[in-house]
Amino acid sequence: MIVAALVLMLLVAVLSLAAKDLLATVVLLAVFSLLCAVVFYYLHAPDVAITEAAVGAGVSTLILVWAVRRTARGGEG
Amino acid sequence: MIPWDFVLWFFLGSLVLGLVRLVIGPSTADRLVGLNLVAGQVLTLLVLLAVKEDVALYLDVALVYDIFGFLGILAIVKYFTKRRTS
Repeated sequence: MIVAALVLMLLVAVLSLAAKDLLATVVLLAVFSLLCAVVFYYLHAPDVAITEAAVGAGVSTLILVWAVRRTARGGEG
Repeated sequence: MIPWDFVLWFFLGSLVLGLVRLVIGPSTADRLVGLNLVAGQVLTLLVLLAVKEDVALYLDVALVYDIFGFLGILAIVKYFTKRRTS
């Protein structure tokens, strides 16, 4: 099951790199850090998973959305 | 007893279905609904694993993720309200 989570992480990471819309990239990065927390959880490191969930899913999404709002949304095109 | 393998793989499969909506969603609102769905599925998965392993510390991961994941979803929703009014 950890292999399935790692494959999903790889898929989400490639898609977040390929997305044109920056807000879609932010959403995909939130899912990426969520799956990363699940992987840490499987590896019996709940404290690392707590930090990853707090920083990756919450604060990082908040800061990235704030940055997208202050700058252009449509990518480099 | 609870068939753990079936339950965990079932939730992982439904997580993949939510992930499909998150990836192909035409608008960002669709992606937001997909993110909310995936967050709920993963929260259930974390709680189920905590019950399976029978360690109370693992429940804290689910608690902290629920609080901060809601904060992240709230940030994206706030972005939409700012866009609509201006």
